[in-house]
Amino acid sequence: MRLIIRHDPEAASMYISDYIIERIKAFKPTPERPFVLGLPTGSSPVLIYKQLVQRHKAGDISFRDVVTFNMDEYVGIPREHPESYHSFMYKHFFSHVDVDPSNINILNGNAPDLEAECQEYEEKIKRAGGIELFLGGIGPDGHIAFNEPGSSLKSRTRVKTLAYDTIIANSRFFENDLKQVPRMALTVGVQTVLDAREVVIIITGAHKALALQRCIEGGVNHMWTLSSLQLHPHPLIIVDEDATLELQVKTVKSIEMAASELGFHQMLPRKRDSVVDDQILLPLPKTNGATLDVPQKDVSRSASPLLEAMSIRISQDTTVEPVDELQLSPMSARVAN
Amino acid sequence: MPSAVPANGFFHRHGTGVTKFTNCFLVRGDDLVQEDLWVSSVSGKILNGQEMLYGERVAPDSIVDLGGKILSPGLIDLQLNGAFGFDFSVVSEDGAMPYGKRVQQVNKKLVRTGVTSYTPTLTSQLSEVYQKALPFLAPSGATRDAAMGSESLGAHCEGPFINPNKNGIHKEAVLQSPTHGLSSLASCYGAANLTSPIKYITLAPELPGALDTIRNLTALGLTVSIGHSEASYEEARSSMQAGATMITHLFNAMEPMHHRNPGIFGLLGQTSSSLHRKPYFGIIADGIHLHHTTVKIAWNAHPDGLILVTDAMALAGMPDGTYDWTNGSRIVKNGNVLTLEENGKIAGSSIQLVDCVSNFLNWTGASVPEALKAVTETPAKMLGLVDVKGSLREGADADLVVLDLQESGVSKGKKFCVEQVWKFGEKVFDKEEDGKQA
Repeated sequence: MRLIIRHDPEAASMYISDYIIERIKAFKPTPERPFVLGLPTGSSPVLIYKQLVQRHKAGDISFRDVVTFNMDEYVGIPREHPESYHSFMYKHFFSHVDVDPSNINILNGNAPDLEAECQEYEEKIKRAGGIELFLGGIGPDGHIAFNEPGSSLKSRTRVKTLAYDTIIANSRFFENDLKQVPRMALTVGVQTVLDAREVVIIITGAHKALALQRCIEGGVNHMWTLSSLQLHPHPLIIVDEDATLELQVKTVKSIEMAASELGFHQMLPRKRDSVVDDQILLPLPKTNGATLDVPQKDVSRSASPLLEAMSIRISQDTTVEPVDELQLSPMSARVAN
Repeated sequence: MPSAVPANGFFHRHGTGVTKFTNCFLVRGDDLVQEDLWVSSVSGKILNGQEMLYGERVAPDSIVDLGGKILSPGLIDLQLNGAFGFDFSVVSEDGAMPYGKRVQQVNKKLVRTGVTSYTPTLTSQLSEVYQKALPFLAPSGATRDAAMGSESLGAHCEGPFINPNKNGIHKEAVLQSPTHGLSSLASCYGAANLTSPIKYITLAPELPGALDTIRNLTALGLTVSIGHSEASYEEARSSMQAGATMITHLFNAMEPMHHRNPGIFGLLGQTSSSLHRKPYFGIIADGIHLHHTTVKIAWNAHPDGLILVTDAMALAGMPDGTYDWTNGSRIVKNGNVLTLEENGKIAGSSIQLVDCVSNFLNWTGASVPEALKAVTETPAKMLGLVDVKGSLREGADADLVVLDLQESGVSKGKKFCVEQVWKFGEKVFDKEEDGKQA
């Protein structure tokens, strides 16, 4: 797991927007081979969108060969409703950039058959070759998309009833009237997110510190659905300092030291601007001036391993969600080897 | 279709005629908001960008970056007597060009000043003038042809049913009383002209038969404005109760406010409960007709009713001198000041509407959207066209003006500059391109 700590939400967002832009550029998307990007809504990504729009207007990046899939949408409120995620995406992103309207995919919370809508969404993702990079945020209870505590970590796109505290929290957007708050949403599943070749998560603010701690220091647990990211081959979490408040000192220190050893200390001026790759579980280094044993590899901010194309994996996987399919090899299999 | 520079290389769906304005400040109600605006040159209307994106899956044919300028609904002038050497009230055929042609010419020039629609105004004339001129002044937007220029929303007949003591520069000999109500009007304007070409009528409510006339005109769907009048406060109030909704150039050609008889101006002091609604009122903010403070007092009294009008006439833009006018009178033009040769009375103005807005902004301390409202939303409301004109709401006509608010060095004031004008979703004027051609 890569965990990046930045001083404040602006810096954390800037890191992600830069990262996404570099990933799209490196991918060299074409109409035949578009970059497939998963997108969230909510307060955390607003700054990221703002920066992406600015970079687009400055001519740094085009989204014309980017296909987007959004995570979720409320059920039963009009598309035009100011609180719909369609409206959010229009306001913060789509109206400002050159995404081809026919490349935009958002779940339709007013579809006549909601189940069919969800299944079709999974099919669409598949047809697009799978999601290259899924950007996400989390709720204070560690939920990703609308996969609230208790959601199956193998879940797929589906209709979801909202938790009571989510409804209460959302009522502030609906004139503080609980009756106006949608009770259901369509959301991609945890497994839908994990299927992406790369998952990038932003977590900022002290109110999400506990969630971050549970998701990366605790075990995989369906009560903190983001913890499933521990099973992803290539996750990236970018947090601000406030979000680290509940982390062990050990965890944060090891990140700092690793970053320092890798030379990022000089490169990034702020105290805790640091990068670590797969270093979270490193033992606490000695404090007597000994150096951390980290390979001196050339790591750029957009370091991204060359993975096989998502489409290859998808095309082999003919069933969407077989009940008995396991993503990981069972322990017994490994022991036998 | 406007010159369509593909905004989106991947998306080659030509002929949608959709233009997106970006990097601009939209006038929405009393706010300036930084938003995009989508318009269609096919329907000539303002679109819902979000619905185009998600519903129609349409990307704009062209994206117009306005560089942070103001995008306002096109300006509406409710009182324009003529312009560019042509007077709507002059029907004589001695000129080289027939009347209808001249009107079209004015429309094409007028639109370049940011005025995308207006009510051509006839001063008090003999019946034959109305009969001849009115058919050419009827609403002209039905073809939705941007090339036609500014659009008539119907004629404004200012007189001849006005008070001879407040005639201003209207020839006293042609004035009448609406003694027989509608039939007096029908015989003057022509019965057929009453319902279509005429949009609103200015009359003096104290004249015999006037109140009945107001009731009947209102029933026909016409708008009645009171003006050129000696009406007392009580008489003015009765006219409002009879259905009048507007005051023609407030303060000019009426009794000044007296503290024991507030006259027509007193209507602005009404509480909304005592009258159905307060009247709209025209204000000539040319710096000659009214003192700055007077304008501000009127605005403070009833900001939602204030409509800026030019009352401009044919001599706007002409060199100084003495010119023939209607009914055998002559007008002296000296700079921006127009006076009647025989008695020195103010004879309309030669100002452009956009300059009235600049004046209003500087004199009253109104915000930019408040000032623009006085030439967009408020006049559209007064004409009952609020869904079609004067707003940037979805479904309204895409009549737009791009304004640059500049500091004017001389008086430390601000000045609106017309940068672009769009009519029915097509660009009809661009200051930059214009400069290159010249």
